[in-house]
Amino acid sequence: MKRDIPDLAGGVILAGIGLFVSLYAVDHYEIGSLRRMGPGFFPAVLGGVLACLGVVIALPALVRQGPAIRIAWKECLAVLGAILVFAAGLDRLGLALVTLISVLIASVAAPDRRIGWRIVLALTVTALSVAVFSFGLKMTVPLWPGR
Amino acid sequence: MSGWDGFLHGLSVATQPGVLIYCAFGVVLGTFVGVLPGIGAMATISLLLPITYYLSPEAALVMLAGVYYGSQYGGAVASILLRLPGTPQSAVTTLDGYPLAQQGRAGVALFTSMISSFSGSMIGIFVLIVLSGALARAAIAFGAAEYAAMMILGLVAASTVGAKDPAKSLAMVVLGLILGCVGTDVNSGVQRFTFGQTELMDGINLVALAMGLFGVAEVIANIHAAERTGVPPRVALRELLPSRAELRRIPFPALRGASLGSFFGALPGTGSTISSFLAYAAERRISRHPDRFGKGAIEGVAGPEAANNAAAISAFVPTLALGIPGDPIMALMLGALVIHGVQPGPLMLEARPDMFWGLIASFGIGNLLLLILNLPLIGIWVSMLRIPFRWLYPAILIFVCLGVYSVRGSSFDMFAVALIGLVGYALSLARFNPALLLLGFVLGPLIETNLRRALLIARGDPMVFLQRPLAAAFMIAAAGLIVMSLVQVIRRRMRA
Amino acid sequence: MIMSRRAALLGAAAISLCKPAMAQDASWPSQPQHVFVGFPAGSSPDLLARIVTEPLADKLGQPIVIENKPGAGGVIGVQQMLNAKDQQNTFATTINGPLTTAPRLTPNLGYDVAKDIAPVALLATSPLVLVVAADFPADDLAGFIKAAGKEPDALAYGSVGKGSGAHLTAELFSDRAGVEMLHIPFTSYAEVTTAIIGNEIDCGFMAPSAAMQYVQAGKLKILGITSEKPFAKAPGVPVMAGQAGLPDDFRAELWNAFIAPAATDPAVIKTLNTDINAILADDAVQKRMLDMGWQAAGGSPEDLQKRIAQDTKVWGAVLDRINAKQ
Repeated sequence: MKRDIPDLAGGVILAGIGLFVSLYAVDHYEIGSLRRMGPGFFPAVLGGVLACLGVVIALPALVRQGPAIRIAWKECLAVLGAILVFAAGLDRLGLALVTLISVLIASVAAPDRRIGWRIVLALTVTALSVAVFSFGLKMTVPLWPGR
Repeated sequence: MSGWDGFLHGLSVATQPGVLIYCAFGVVLGTFVGVLPGIGAMATISLLLPITYYLSPEAALVMLAGVYYGSQYGGAVASILLRLPGTPQSAVTTLDGYPLAQQGRAGVALFTSMISSFSGSMIGIFVLIVLSGALARAAIAFGAAEYAAMMILGLVAASTVGAKDPAKSLAMVVLGLILGCVGTDVNSGVQRFTFGQTELMDGINLVALAMGLFGVAEVIANIHAAERTGVPPRVALRELLPSRAELRRIPFPALRGASLGSFFGALPGTGSTISSFLAYAAERRISRHPDRFGKGAIEGVAGPEAANNAAAISAFVPTLALGIPGDPIMALMLGALVIHGVQPGPLMLEARPDMFWGLIASFGIGNLLLLILNLPLIGIWVSMLRIPFRWLYPAILIFVCLGVYSVRGSSFDMFAVALIGLVGYALSLARFNPALLLLGFVLGPLIETNLRRALLIARGDPMVFLQRPLAAAFMIAAAGLIVMSLVQVIRRRMRA
Repeated sequence: MIMSRRAALLGAAAISLCKPAMAQDASWPSQPQHVFVGFPAGSSPDLLARIVTEPLADKLGQPIVIENKPGAGGVIGVQQMLNAKDQQNTFATTINGPLTTAPRLTPNLGYDVAKDIAPVALLATSPLVLVVAADFPADDLAGFIKAAGKEPDALAYGSVGKGSGAHLTAELFSDRAGVEMLHIPFTSYAEVTTAIIGNEIDCGFMAPSAAMQYVQAGKLKILGITSEKPFAKAPGVPVMAGQAGLPDDFRAELWNAFIAPAATDPAVIKTLNTDINAILADDAVQKRMLDMGWQAAGGSPEDLQKRIAQDTKVWGAVLDRINAKQ
């Protein structure tokens, strides 16, 4: 069975998004008329167009061999985890600590598994970000835990 | 005072040591923050603003402006080396700059980008001196109908940027348009797709979107890949520079890009991001080898880089001559002028010619400094590629987060970057072009607001788009482009 | 901004010494103060906040860190003040919108003005002027109202968005003058000005400082001002109240106020109010504000409370009128 999985999935997801946007707009916002468009007009039309495009992308993908893909699960989790921790912790932990922790999380995905290397990396990046943003650009952001 | 006399007078202001040194500081800092992903001119200028209270008005403005156009130079560096646009304006440069770098031609791409940036700026300055009056009048003559029609033309023209698969390209543009709808609808005040989040009322943050789609997504994809390809070999200085044949491919794209950029930059609300997209689309259309684009075409770097730098200069036209800022950065510059007791607007040229022409002359000097500074740096940037990616990517992530945070001090935007990054990674896996999503996102709100505003002003009469000659011309051109593309697609099908 | 680094270090030091839940006492302020501003650095509300907080920091003997949290018409700044962990050393300056009309216009506002916010002092006010293109057929307010009254939507006016001061003022004016004008929302005064000069729309209400130089350049003219008294930054512009059939109490002003979370110690609010009033009485401060188009105000927390209640009522009625039209 030949399938172009990326295109198939992409098309179906886009069609789904389009459909949702269109229905949500029709349901929640006034559509108006062509002469006097309401806030729902654009999203409703665009959502419809996206749904159609999604179908156009997905249909031929059903009968076509697609490229093999490899999803980088570990990298994905490490990178997104690092960002989420940084976002949640910046105000509470301060720039220095949160950078240290986030870099350690991000480094999980790195091929170099030595713990010493990770610590050196985290300290380097922390020093760099504190130097550039806190001292260099004087960004209004807490440096240490507190407030 | 004619343009040239004014410019010469301005040179005498801008070459005072007390001004010159801040000009140099501004462009160096601009290059630096341009290279850093996420943090751009906007954040840096707003962080620097309070410090300028202690400077003379000339020095302060020259420095802040230097940060602005300097960041356009730097923005290209990370785009080319890491497929990570330093600024949203340089997102297009990734399309051909990064493939060049992967072919071991990073030096050539950087050289092209520097030279094009410089020529773009110089042409922008020339246009500013000669045509500032005419451009200012054009900005006033442009009503909602003209804007809407022009943006539609721009969207149609640029939608062909990655046209290997028309349906997938178009889907990205439309998805961008939809994301552009998020936030308060200008015409009705209704909150669209905000799902109760106050942070979404002003829409999705452009920097968060650009950094998520390109930066975060690229980091995820690259951690593994980069380690396998290993460290690129050390290259000789000669190979950093383009060959004679390649050099010949720079001037015309740069000239065309600069013309587009000068025009679009001068219109309030359009700005450099759009002009870089349009320049790319134009080069692709004109080229005899459109298939080269996306695989490392020199023209694909030269055109957009000239365009966004020219636009950065001509964006000062409405700001200085009309007191009307074209984008948020210009609004900030306007604020800076006001802090220093200079009221930009129709009276500025008469009231403060020293300031007006001094600033413009400083653009020339600043760009010269940028060229002198950046050409030798090419070697250093290229050698940065030799740093293993595992050392770079954690720092990139932190800088992206802080850059996004610096725009408006919002933690919400950092969470958004994570989500957008995930989406961007999924898009890259399925081979969708995120640059087109960004284009739709930038143009969408402009098209919608102006279209609806034009109809509102015309009391609901759709003929307004055909009765106003400029608007009609744009609409006809857009329709022509659509027909042309359709014919091409059908012909290809017939042949196949 | 020079202060921020020092403030961050001092803050760290101070916090390590004191318990977070420290009761308020005579030692206040014992640590750096934070003032949230719901607009970006360099914007008019931000500059106004800095004009006041610079001398205030000297009086308190503690640095004041300005935290710009722009978004949602200033609402995010107020939300962030209320979300701060330390409710004793955190304040905000805000324009009128987040305290008067936001509860009507912003879903999920997340705060109740009456319950969650303690007014400290009114900082400054700004009137609005009615602006038309220089070639507009009428030269005074009576002529303008006549032109607007020919038929509904005969004239179109620009604003900076639904519920903005420019929008509400124009609707209040229409109501009091008995006319109907077409509302065209824009996103900035700069766009509105361009549209008026380019004859795309007919008129608009805006801050005098935004309009004066176009008047001098002969591109715009001003037909009236919405304050009770003539305004120094708009010399020769007649007051609208009582003219051309408008009622004597016709008044519309934007304002900017210093506020605190409701949990703030009343003694702290009293100290702040006294200090701010002293600052606002200073000639140099008044001049800096006036140069930006703001008239220094002042008064007690109760005065501000009254102003909030009064404007909430007036603008609420205007919003009812707008919603009824749709």
